Formats: sequence, structure tokens, C-alpha cells
Amino acid sequence: MIAMFRAVLYSQWKWSRLIVVLGTVAAFAIPLLSLQGAARADRGALQAQELLRAVQSWGTLYPLLATALGLLMAIAAWAADHRGRHIHALTLPIERWRYVLLRFGAGFVLLAAPIAAVLIGSSLAVLTATLPPGLQAYPIALAVRFAFAVFVAYALFFAVSAGTARTAGIILGVIAAVILVHVVASIANIDLNLFGAAQTVLLLGPGPLAVFTGRWMLVDV
Amino acid sequence: MSDAIHIERLHYRAGKNFAIKELDLHVPSGSIYGFLGPNGSGKTTTIRLILGLLRPLTGRITVLGLPMPEQYARILGQVGYVPEQPHLDPTLTVRELIDFQAAFYPRWDRARADELVQRFELDGEHLFGRLSKGQKAKLMILLALSQCGDLLVLDEPTDGLDPVVRRDILGALITYVSERGATIFISSHLVHELERVCDWVAVMDDGRLITEAPMERLKQGTKRLVVMGAPAEIVNPPFRVLTRESTNGGGAGENWVVGDWEPGMTSYFEGVGASVREVIDLDLEDGFVELLRSFRKGGTRR
Repeated sequence: MIAMFRAVLYSQWKWSRLIVVLGTVAAFAIPLLSLQGAARADRGALQAQELLRAVQSWGTLYPLLATALGLLMAIAAWAADHRGRHIHALTLPIERWRYVLLRFGAGFVLLAAPIAAVLIGSSLAVLTATLPPGLQAYPIALAVRFAFAVFVAYALFFAVSAGTARTAGIILGVIAAVILVHVVASIANIDLNLFGAAQTVLLLGPGPLAVFTGRWMLVDV
Repeated sequence: MSDAIHIERLHYRAGKNFAIKELDLHVPSGSIYGFLGPNGSGKTTTIRLILGLLRPLTGRITVLGLPMPEQYARILGQVGYVPEQPHLDPTLTVRELIDFQAAFYPRWDRARADELVQRFELDGEHLFGRLSKGQKAKLMILLALSQCGDLLVLDEPTDGLDPVVRRDILGALITYVSERGATIFISSHLVHELERVCDWVAVMDDGRLITEAPMERLKQGTKRLVVMGAPAEIVNPPFRVLTRESTNGGGAGENWVVGDWEPGMTSYFEGVGASVREVIDLDLEDGFVELLRSFRKGGTRR
């Protein structure tokens, strides 16, 4: 099983190395950029409010990066199998659920690089910055949250990407139906906001997708 | 002799227009079994059922003594498969594909793989997507043979290839069978090719098996007869009448194509007041065409 995992990991690395490298660079750079100027000698320590604003606005990039990485890695994980109509995978002498786990695990192992980059970048940024009194740095918490967001995004898109054209059709059909209902409701002057309701249910309610919302703060009170 | 593949009363439906119906198939262990049929006859679908890629509606499939699809992972570890269309990732090199495959097969023969890379003159650093059609086919055969399976399932492996590549591939297959005593199930519509290498043959059309027999019996038993004075109806002949039509010159002469023919059966015609003027040997291709014609006219099946 280890040999199989190494083989799958290697193939997946070959397909997604550009995504991993670019994602790792971005994950390393964002925390450093978010604290740039915090230790500039000519300004002294940044005012706490100014720093928090900067950190908060840079923080919106973490969930975006996590989503993009999850999406692209999931697509890369299945692209070759889709091209070959899954014949190769289905004729390998391994239970299909094991093969899916190997593909999933390999993708997540590769995503460890950008997660580690967030941790290293955050730690370096904090070490080189002079924080105003009363503020604390949370590099480990930020990295753990980023890891969870990457995992959720990757798992979600992996499941969708593994599906057939029929599955994709069903998902698109549901979205189209929601849009159609919206259009009909607006023509009939009915106050209906399905997208808002979906956002509330999916992102704001308790559940794994809630990790993408809220403030992503490397430095906070 | 036990069967490497045993199929009983298999039924499968794909959409509204195509179905495999009541399929019975017995592939003896150690045989090179040719699976003939025109395009769209159901050969590839049958192979996908044998490999567990599709699930039958009813019926039973046993491969190497194990039930398919229940034991697909165990079975596939002993089966080398070459599909009709190369399905491998075009962005991996020949060497990377060999390494990938080797990781999944416990009986992988690295020495054989290296030997076949040399023999087929493959460059390990070439991307699969940049290989020629012949090189792709050779690599697929290499991967199937290096698994050291007891059964090879080949779906039109030489279709569209030049004669030199075809000969290389068939040569490698025959060497493998002679060394390992493996079973080969090979589908094709290239009748002459199968005639050279197979010892069993089955013919399929429109999702049904028309015939299944040892190659020699099929070849020796399929004849064209020139019959004089045959009655309109014949009862219980000891052979199968595949087709029967008047000769071009008209008169009482008829051309018959028969199956299961044996020397001495001309006496049957004397018993019904007719005579056989000529018995003509048919090669496999002629026999195959006559079998299809007979089947499509609603003729016999066995």
C-alpha cells in the first residue's frame, strides 16, 4: 500500500506541481506582507488600529487561497482519470474506495506545503515585527485554521470533481433552478432571496464551511 | 480443463438500443481465445463485464475461479488488460508509467519490463502522449505482460497498426503464453490475425454469441457445398445449414454453406435424393462472414 501511495503521490505531484509551488509562495508571502511596515524604524510601532485594519484586509486572502488551492488540486487529482474515462483506475487491482483514498491522501499531502508556508511565513512575520502593546500574534492558530479551510475546500471539490458528467449536470441543474425561481419571484414581486438563505445556511450556520467566514487575523487583541 | 472465464446466461443492457442477451461463454485455461465480431457487436461491452467495469443485470461471471464483480480486486491482480483505446495519462513518461503500474501489481516482473522496453525500442523518457500509435500499443502490451497475470484480456490490441508492429506484438504474446501457460482472450475483427494465433474462437453479433468452438473444428467444419437436386425442406441434417441459395446459373444447383461438417456426410444427401457435386474449404474469414449472414437472416446459433 505504501508503494501504491508513493506512485499516486508522484503522479499527482507531476500534475499539480505548478499549483503547489505558486500556492506555497503565496501562502508564505501573505503573512509577511500583512505585517509589512510593522517594524519600520522611522514610524516606530504601528498604531494598533492601523495594524489590525491592515492584517484584517490581508486576511481575506487566506480563505480565497484555501478555496483556490482546494479547487485546483481537486481538479488536478481527477483530470487524468477523467481523460482516460477511468478505465485505467478501474482496472487496477485495488478496491475502488482505496484508490479514491490514495488520490485524496496524495492531494492533501501535497497541500501540506502551502499550509507549512503559512505557518513559517506567519512565524517569520511575527518575529520580525514590533507589535503595539496589547496585541498578540496567532501564527499557529492561523495555520491550523488555514489547514482546515484547505482540507474542507479540497474535500468538497474532490467529491464534486470525482463525479461523472451526470453529477456535474445535477449540480448545475440545481443552480439553474435556483436562478429560475429567483427570476420568477422577482417578476411576481415576491421577496425571496434564496442565495442569501443558502449563504446563511452554508457559511454562517454551524458547519465546516463556516471556517471560510469571519476574520482571519494573524495579529489580534 | 477448467475455464479461465466462465459466463452463464449473462444479460446486460446499455441504453435502449443495445443489449447483451443470454450470453454463455467458456474460455478454457491456457487457450488463446479469439473473440470475433463486427464493430458494435458487443465485444468491448462483454470485455468490460468480464473485468467488472460494468455490472450485469443477470447472469454469472467467473474469472480465474473467482466471481466477478464481487472479487474484482483479487481478479484484476491476475489479469493483464489492453483496452481498445490507450487510456494512460499522456503527461507521464514511459518509465513513470511502468513504475506506476509496478507499484500496484505484486507479481510485477521488472526484468521482463526492461527486456520488453529494449525489444520494443521504447524510450523511457518519452511522454506517453507523444508516442506513435504503434509505440503506445507496444507499451500497453508491455504493461499487461509485465504484470505476470494468468489471463490477458486484449481488446483489439493491433487494430490500425502496421504489419511490423502487429507482428512484434503477436510475437511477444505467443512467447508469453509459451513461457507461462497463460490464457489470452483477444477480441478483434481482423479475422486473419486471429486465425494465425488462436486455438479457440467465438463469434458475436448484435449482443449475442453466434458460435464458440475450437479453431480447427470451426475451420474444418465450415464448408461451401454445391448441391444438386436438394428438396425444399430437409429434416434433421447432421450438419448446420448456415446459408442456402441457388447457383448463378439457375437450374437445380444450389450453394450451401454448412457448419459442423465432417467427411462422409455427403451420404445424407443421397438419402434425400440429392447429391453433392463439390465440397469447398472456407477460410476463417469466409466462415465468419457466412456465420454472420446466417445469423442476421435468423439462422442457427450454437
